[in-house]
Amino acid sequence: MASNPGIQARAKRVDRFMTFAISGGGLLIIGAVLAMLLFILKEAAPLFLPPRVSQVGTLQNAPSSGVWLDESGKAAVILSRETGLKALRLPEGTALPVPGGGPTLPWREVTVPNTRGESLVTGSDGRLFLARLTWTKPAGENDPSHWELNPQWQGGFLPSPAPTRILHFRLKEGGGLGAAPQLLIAAQLGSSLGWLETDLTGEAPAPWKTIPLEAGLEASAAVWSSDGASLAVGTRDGRLLILEPASGSVIASAVFGEPITALGYALGQSSILVGGSRGGLVAYQRARLGEEFQLQPFHQFPRLSGSVLGFQASLRDKRFLAWTPTEAVVDHLTTERRLMSVPVSGTGLAAMAPRGDLILHARTDSGALQLWTLDAPHPEVSMGVLWSKTHFEGYGKPEYVWQSTGGTDDFEPKFSLVPLVFGTLKGTLYAMLFAFPMAVLGALYTSQFAAPRFRNVIKPAVEIMAALPSVVLGFLAGLVMAPLLERSAVEVLVYPFCVLLAVLLAAPFWSRLSQPFRNRFGTGQEALWIAPVLLLGVGLAILVGPWVEHALMGGSYRTWLQSALGVTYDQRNSLVVGFAMGFAVIPIIFTISEDALSSVPRSLTSASLACGASPWQTAWRVVLPTASPGIFSATMVGLGRAIGETMIVLMATGNTPVMDWGPFNGMRTLSANIAVEIPEAPLHGTLYRVLFLAAFLLFLFTFVLNTVAELVRQRLRRRYESI
Amino acid sequence: MTRLAEHLRRGSGFVWFSGATLAFSLAMIISLVGYIAARGLGFFWPSPLLQVQTAEGVVLGEITDREAARGEEPAKVQFRVGNRDIYGQDFRWVPASGMGAPTQPREAVLLERSEYGPFMGRIASISHLGAVVAEGDRALAEAQARLPESRRLLDQLHSIEVGKVGELNRRIEKLRVTRKGLELRGEVGRLAALDSEVAGLQSTYDSLQTSLDQTRADTKAWVLGLETADGQKKEWPLASVVRIVPANDLSTPGRLGIYLARLWEFVAGDPRESNTEGGIFPAIFGTVMMVLVMSVMVVPLGVVTALYLREYARQGWLVRAVRVAVNNLAGVPSIVFGVFGLGFFVYSLGGSIDRMFFAESLPTPTYGTGGILWASLTLALLTVPVVVVATEEALGSVARSQREASLAMGATKWQTLWNVVLPAATPGILTGLILAIARGAGEVAPLMLTGVVKLAPSMPLDGTFPFFHLDRKFMHLGFHIYDVGFQSPNSEAAKPMVFMASLLLLAVVVILNIFALNLRRKLRARLGGSTF
Repeated sequence: MASNPGIQARAKRVDRFMTFAISGGGLLIIGAVLAMLLFILKEAAPLFLPPRVSQVGTLQNAPSSGVWLDESGKAAVILSRETGLKALRLPEGTALPVPGGGPTLPWREVTVPNTRGESLVTGSDGRLFLARLTWTKPAGENDPSHWELNPQWQGGFLPSPAPTRILHFRLKEGGGLGAAPQLLIAAQLGSSLGWLETDLTGEAPAPWKTIPLEAGLEASAAVWSSDGASLAVGTRDGRLLILEPASGSVIASAVFGEPITALGYALGQSSILVGGSRGGLVAYQRARLGEEFQLQPFHQFPRLSGSVLGFQASLRDKRFLAWTPTEAVVDHLTTERRLMSVPVSGTGLAAMAPRGDLILHARTDSGALQLWTLDAPHPEVSMGVLWSKTHFEGYGKPEYVWQSTGGTDDFEPKFSLVPLVFGTLKGTLYAMLFAFPMAVLGALYTSQFAAPRFRNVIKPAVEIMAALPSVVLGFLAGLVMAPLLERSAVEVLVYPFCVLLAVLLAAPFWSRLSQPFRNRFGTGQEALWIAPVLLLGVGLAILVGPWVEHALMGGSYRTWLQSALGVTYDQRNSLVVGFAMGFAVIPIIFTISEDALSSVPRSLTSASLACGASPWQTAWRVVLPTASPGIFSATMVGLGRAIGETMIVLMATGNTPVMDWGPFNGMRTLSANIAVEIPEAPLHGTLYRVLFLAAFLLFLFTFVLNTVAELVRQRLRRRYESI
Repeated sequence: MTRLAEHLRRGSGFVWFSGATLAFSLAMIISLVGYIAARGLGFFWPSPLLQVQTAEGVVLGEITDREAARGEEPAKVQFRVGNRDIYGQDFRWVPASGMGAPTQPREAVLLERSEYGPFMGRIASISHLGAVVAEGDRALAEAQARLPESRRLLDQLHSIEVGKVGELNRRIEKLRVTRKGLELRGEVGRLAALDSEVAGLQSTYDSLQTSLDQTRADTKAWVLGLETADGQKKEWPLASVVRIVPANDLSTPGRLGIYLARLWEFVAGDPRESNTEGGIFPAIFGTVMMVLVMSVMVVPLGVVTALYLREYARQGWLVRAVRVAVNNLAGVPSIVFGVFGLGFFVYSLGGSIDRMFFAESLPTPTYGTGGILWASLTLALLTVPVVVVATEEALGSVARSQREASLAMGATKWQTLWNVVLPAATPGILTGLILAIARGAGEVAPLMLTGVVKLAPSMPLDGTFPFFHLDRKFMHLGFHIYDVGFQSPNSEAAKPMVFMASLLLLAVVVILNIFALNLRRKLRARLGGSTF
């Protein structure tokens, strides 16, 4: 047969091919499996990429007093005092048609439009109009040359006297259904501060009401609160005041330290941005400290060069634009990161598209326009937010908070991984507290004392235990054990003592039995004989528990916990998780420890016994220390399992990301958090990437733990071989 | 005193203590499995309906729980009273003290209904098209006699709805997608022909629908007059009754019959009432399908990897490192695999497939969303280390003499592997596969991200081309447990179902494991391998 050259050649060919195929395939599979890590990392990495800024053009235009960018970033509307409205197509700057109308030219004053395209314009006749700029876009039309600019001019009333400078205005929606919106304006009137409220219907002259300020204070900037009930005022000598306009009473005040030149809000209108004449930039919020409201400076941004001229907030996230005569910057409120900083020249104004991805600077004198795109998809995440205490809006002090989504659009996402890592460690700790002694002592007993016949039953039983689906354990923990523990927490507490009592009760009976009987049936089967005693302990606990609760805790342990320790008892708490997860971890630690313990060379134990040591002394002093690397390795593997366990924690805790080591409340772990949140996370959004980062951390933790365990085990194996 | 010190030093007490920890662990396993089995299997047994007089009126139901007196709280008994449409809740706690002796009224029945859970009370009358046919005792007998016919009609109705109507819907949907594709490509000429075809199908659909409505009206002809224990009356169509259980008037064989019928319905039936009643067949089927697809993928992946590592790769530190890494993958949390599956398989791979081959159905994703293929692939990745380790062990334990004999006869390496080594290693590979299946069947977390749903409208395997739908979402036993136990609005009433599903899952996983471990032990005994 072998002489047939055809068959032989074919066999050789097949062999070469298979060598190639299997090597290639094997390498490919191994590569693919390991590429998993890279993929997860790749999905998380954009979180940490620096923002990209690129200048897309410089255009020439008439001097502008106001600029508004459309949401798409494809069109800009310029308000010019001399020529009125102009519309430009971006980025090339071709002019788009603009309808006529509006206040009489030349305009006396134009306020910088807000992100929604609202501006106050004073005509040459002194009449004040509210301009609301909107584009009418045919469905699905992306080209601005097919759009139609629809400026609405409302009001047209005559303020008296004519204001020196309008500081801020706010549209307050009318009280009832269909009620006309109210316009609130704050303005400088000479050296005093005035305000007025008007609906937008009448053309009648509207009188200013002056707000009496403390002597010597002169308002240089102001913003209305979102409900229009109070006014934040910045003064020339650097004080920030919250006033009630009607009475002029100061609700809260703070010292800023340099003349305030600009005030603004970040998205959500609860954080007040303050800019000073020397470029200081601080965010304040009104926080309840003790009894009263205070203005609290809670975010400090890098100083700008020159005095801050204005702010504009994104409508998408907490980033905002600030500009001075020499630079324009985009900062993010939560992270205090500077996403963009570009030099500009000449006094001017800047505008940001509502999404915060396009920034335009226009000079008031020459009409030069500069345009930048800003690509910062995940500004709300930084190493600081993820890992250290961050001062979030509405919180009195910096804290670790995980809260990825909220009810409103202006919600500030709070991506601190610390509570989740904490929860993971807490769950693991409670599980290990329970599992480690149970598993190691059980393994010691099985390997050193149990009769061989008995051991052959125990080992497979525990191996089966390792295979129990975690969803079943979680279900039992959440729906059976948690209510049971809640009902009989005291019984569980007294159980160890009851077992002790039961042992004391049972010991005399045992010692009554004849020595041969004990030797014959007792040795190697202690675990069987002790089982009824454990059961007796359960009975005792049920008897004693209510009595203890009545006598020592006044009838209800929950009220006792509350009053004596100030602890509330959650039904799904760490004890339940520790118990259930411990259950999942015990077999893993048990199996590996048992292998290590029973592989301790016979020569060592024999030597110990021959020297007169008792079996326990041998086990404790000789076997356990020798096998300790194996037990360490088992513990590492068990830790890995507990860290990554998802279903048990998901089902047996309340999944609240609290940071408290207490045994009677729950936690939220990294893994459960992924399971809860990733189905709702938008693809490639910040939450999605942060969850990938969490997955990467889990991967890393467990991989490192398992590798350490494996290396330790291999060393131990070599040591055993050398003995 | 010295005796005690001596005793402590020699430490026989500690031996007992360590024994106790083991006994505790073992007791936990036994009580866990026993508890699940008792709660699950006991649920289907028709227990008697007890009637008691309480301060708030008459209560009729099954006793489900008792709570002993505790401090201020008096002892209580929990009744499952059913009648969710009348009482608003299924369970009621009754103080044990003022309860009086329970009676078992003979005429009390438990109706399993297709809506609102069970009814407990009595059947007062039965009427056909408004005319009363029987009353009192005879009403029950009449209802029992009429029930099979009613069920048969409903089954027929259901099969038409699922079969013919479903088929028509699919064809119309397919034409719609084709039409969109043609529009996308600008082939306007063929649109008219398509439109007329759709119109034809639509008219068939309408006439079918009319005949269905007729049959449906027929099934509603028989109506039961029900009365609860506290005298509230209710009309209920016989068509919405699944089973009549005269719980207090049953012989033991009768009870056994009902028990088996319920058990069968559970295993082979479709779920009702947002999964809290009926069967879990789709979940069993989904689990099996997923595991099968996973096995088809995991075996070649695992075996090729093991062959490479053991037979082809040059043994050195790199291969050792790779081996450790592959081993350690088994310890990586399953949720991480789920995240990978979601990001890579579903969004990246599935999204690309959709853009390339299913552009006309976009934005509705075909493969760009979770499905049985992606779930199986994810689990295959998760379980590959199990197969690799088992296969490597099996390859290593093939006797050297056999390989050398084969090579000495002039066989090539591949011929030796294929004809000598692999056949000898098959039981080992099989062990790995079974362990992988057991692991895969019990995993839930990765599936939650890659395609499992609480209620799948259609199975991944059915009679329509191409018969096996890899893109479909599916139901899964483990997820069923999570969903019904924790996401269901009525989880207390659904608990027994969850116990039963747990028991089933547990049984599958444990039996597979016992089988695999036995196989492994036998192999090891034969080959004398080490265990550590």
